[in-house]
Amino acid sequence: MISAQRLLEELKRRGVTHLVGLPDNSSAPLFSLLQGNGDVRLIAVTREGEAFALAAGLWMGGKTPALLIQNTGLLESGDALRGTVSRMRIPLLCLITYRGFKSLKSTSSESAEMQPPFSPNLLSRPDVDSTALVTEPTLRAWGIPYFFLKDDQGLAGLDEAVEEAERLSHPVAVLITEGMK
Amino acid sequence: MLTKEQLLLPLSRNRGDAIVVTTMGVVRPWGKISHSDLDFASADSAMGHAADLALGIALAQPQRKVICLNGDGSMLMSLGTLVTIVGSGVSNLILFVIQNGTYEITGNQSIPAGEHIDFLMMARAAGFQRLYRFNEPTEFTGQLPEILSGKGPVFVLVHIKPGTEGPIRRHEEEESQYLKVSLAESCHRMRKVLSGSDVASDLLTKI
Repeated sequence: MISAQRLLEELKRRGVTHLVGLPDNSSAPLFSLLQGNGDVRLIAVTREGEAFALAAGLWMGGKTPALLIQNTGLLESGDALRGTVSRMRIPLLCLITYRGFKSLKSTSSESAEMQPPFSPNLLSRPDVDSTALVTEPTLRAWGIPYFFLKDDQGLAGLDEAVEEAERLSHPVAVLITEGMK
Repeated sequence: MLTKEQLLLPLSRNRGDAIVVTTMGVVRPWGKISHSDLDFASADSAMGHAADLALGIALAQPQRKVICLNGDGSMLMSLGTLVTIVGSGVSNLILFVIQNGTYEITGNQSIPAGEHIDFLMMARAAGFQRLYRFNEPTEFTGQLPEILSGKGPVFVLVHIKPGTEGPIRRHEEEESQYLKVSLAESCHRMRKVLSGSDVASDLLTKI
């Protein structure tokens, strides 16, 4: 588990001014914390694509936003991500909760089958979360570097993600594979 | 109905130091009459995301007015943004929806239910408190100073005649100054102007 309080402290330490996104079961504790927080302002959106455009505007206005969405929302956001923060070369930290990560790792399939292009049979199998299946290939296709966060010890790794975003002047993703408390 | 000129000329004379975000059918016409560092074209960008982009700028720059000139087709692509705007508590955003009933850039195909939609009612239902609707130019020009002053968010619906703008590219040969540079450069320049520092200078050299 990841401490939402510690994650919030790490975001503040890195100068994050706004967190833009939508909650899921995993990130709900952080959203709850942010509702009473004055240091990092929560901006709630109705759909994840909005989050990318809104974050782009905040960054253009001189702020340091970060995103917090689920991987399903990442998929929904395709053109918004491409047409705003990616094409605008904005070093945006995108925190993405990884729905289906555990089921993906426990899926009993041949490794070759687990690589794109995926078969219709695999994509429709009840024991496979197709969101999880396509998350990392999608990020790779879009040229978004990604990192993993699974526990509090991994919070120090956020530095690497932020530095990579700054180095490339491009968004990076941190995939959150465990729940928050 | 107004022509684009009847909308844009009074706006350019009255905008003061407001930031102006344009998209689709008004990108070029605005770029022909305005040459401000505070203009941004949501062009070669993400479809339907001018209003949320403008909201982000407005939240980051609460001391300035931010005017978004959105299209009706573009607004339909992200209607939830009306709710996001109100929910954000932003007070310096003025959102125009320019209703011509068509997708002008692709040749004026009709938007869905164009004859039935009432964007003003949608904005009101989303929680906008200050709303204006204009069908003729004199009324618009007369009320413009009031629209641009006071606390927002403000929603302005303007009915205009369909135009003939074609696809928009960013290219050196474009007449509009803000279309001569790439989206990334335009974005980084705006951050530099708005943050009042050289924070983006290294990035500008990379692009």
